[in-house]
Amino acid sequence: MFLKKRAVAPLCFLGLVLSPLLLPGSADAIPAFSRQHKTECSTCHTIYPELNEFGDAFLKNSYVYPGKKGDAAPQGDRADKGGARGGANEWAWISGLPEQIPISFTGTADLAYDNDAFDGNKLDLSVRSLRLHAGGAFRDAAGFFVTYNLYTQGAQTGQISAPGNSGNTPPNNTPNINELFLVWRNALGTPVNLKVGRFEPKLSLWKRSNRVIGVPSYASTAYLVGNSPFSVDAPQDGLELNLLLGNRLLLAGGVVDRNGQNRKEGYGHASLKIGGTDFKGHEPEVDLESDSVWDFLTITLGGFGYSGRNGQFDTLGIARNLNEFYRVGGEIDILYKRFHLKGGYTFGRDKNPLLANVADEFESDAYAVEGEYYLGAPVNLIPLFRYEYQEGLRGGTRRYIPALAYAPLQNTRLTLQYIYSDAPEGTNKTALASLAFSL
Amino acid sequence: MKKLLVTMLLLATSATAAHAGLKVIGKGDAMRLDPSDFPPAMKANYDIVRVKCVKCHTLERTIVAIQTGVAPISGQPFDRSATKAYGVKMLRKPDSNMSKPEVKASVDLMNWLLTEAER
Repeated sequence: MFLKKRAVAPLCFLGLVLSPLLLPGSADAIPAFSRQHKTECSTCHTIYPELNEFGDAFLKNSYVYPGKKGDAAPQGDRADKGGARGGANEWAWISGLPEQIPISFTGTADLAYDNDAFDGNKLDLSVRSLRLHAGGAFRDAAGFFVTYNLYTQGAQTGQISAPGNSGNTPPNNTPNINELFLVWRNALGTPVNLKVGRFEPKLSLWKRSNRVIGVPSYASTAYLVGNSPFSVDAPQDGLELNLLLGNRLLLAGGVVDRNGQNRKEGYGHASLKIGGTDFKGHEPEVDLESDSVWDFLTITLGGFGYSGRNGQFDTLGIARNLNEFYRVGGEIDILYKRFHLKGGYTFGRDKNPLLANVADEFESDAYAVEGEYYLGAPVNLIPLFRYEYQEGLRGGTRRYIPALAYAPLQNTRLTLQYIYSDAPEGTNKTALASLAFSL
Repeated sequence: MKKLLVTMLLLATSATAAHAGLKVIGKGDAMRLDPSDFPPAMKANYDIVRVKCVKCHTLERTIVAIQTGVAPISGQPFDRSATKAYGVKMLRKPDSNMSKPEVKASVDLMNWLLTEAER
């Protein structure tokens, strides 16, 4: 038993004591939005980077504050505040520029304790990262978002794992662009938004960063098969169309351009929100005179499919030993007051997951269920438990992850988690403390 | 000189008349309302607002919205439909610790204040 009771207290204490000395962490919360809109982090987050309902609406609205068209203009530029495009900030409005440089930084430092560490280094303090984020909107015509990994060191638990292997992104531990995309909102006056660049294809209900704990990511979206670098939540170079119907149904579809081949990949997503704040950020109708379960209950259902092909690059950078694959999945998100339940299941088939000369087809599946309880003010704490399973080439792996996330300030997060993995290769038990802050 | 005095008097009168119904005390984070002239029911509602709302934000945010008719963060109109929406938002905010009767009291107060501010 690796995590003896007497080891827990010193470990937690050590994490707390050392945390101010460490560099920051792996979240995609972005204070640039907070500065731009002069509002607190909790407008969009529970404990960052997990989004609340309004934060999800902000994301779906392409980083334009949910509201009527034109409300993205700074108040000094609004027609009712000094004439059309008038006011002191006319230059910004005419140029389409954000008034402030919309940049944020996020740092993380991890402390891991693994009693069975293969190299005997049970206590690992060498994992840290520093990321740059940029995001915002050009008036309300377009939204943009950038995540640039400035620095990572160690077996970065919060890293972007798959794209590093996909041939589209440099390997880990080197600076790289994780996301860089532009969304043309309501393209040509239609309800369709057009996204182009490097981004996470809209498959899952939740972006990879939309977690209380991002490490490890959900098995249902992060799992890999054999030597194939594909995972559902990996950023890709692509083009996506999405639109909202009735403010509660989101449809998205796109194509991905993978290096080393001339064929494009395709995907689609649909999600439906029942109850709660709609995808546009409108609050539900609630009768203040009587009670209903729908006053607090929100159910979101999602489904997706992805069809692609990858391979092993030869010396010319051309993909060989091709692997045709697909993934289909379903997800559910239930929110009731402070309780939040997320579940996802993904099924897939790879024709040559080992990228070998002789193809050997494999069917995979994975699922994850996570329940969390948001204690909120005055103690900004979330206890959660996750169970997940994934079927790999060598058999099934189960993970049991109890965790605690605490935000002493809205831009600072400390997480403690215990990861018990039961895999064909054996069991592994790791305790992980992580400090993250954004500025 | 006479013209100047008359102009200043007119300006002062119009400035006072703009929010004649709202007596605001203090500035910035310390801004609050003077409830001495509130009807008893609204006084009780104000007691809820000044305790519950300030857990997450200053009263200035609410008072400015009522005075200007514009929500300071979203820039959207702050009218009676908006007060209800904000009330629902606070009701559903997991850590607001506001019950439905408290939210109703807050919405009623904001609506009454909007009416007073329009006088």
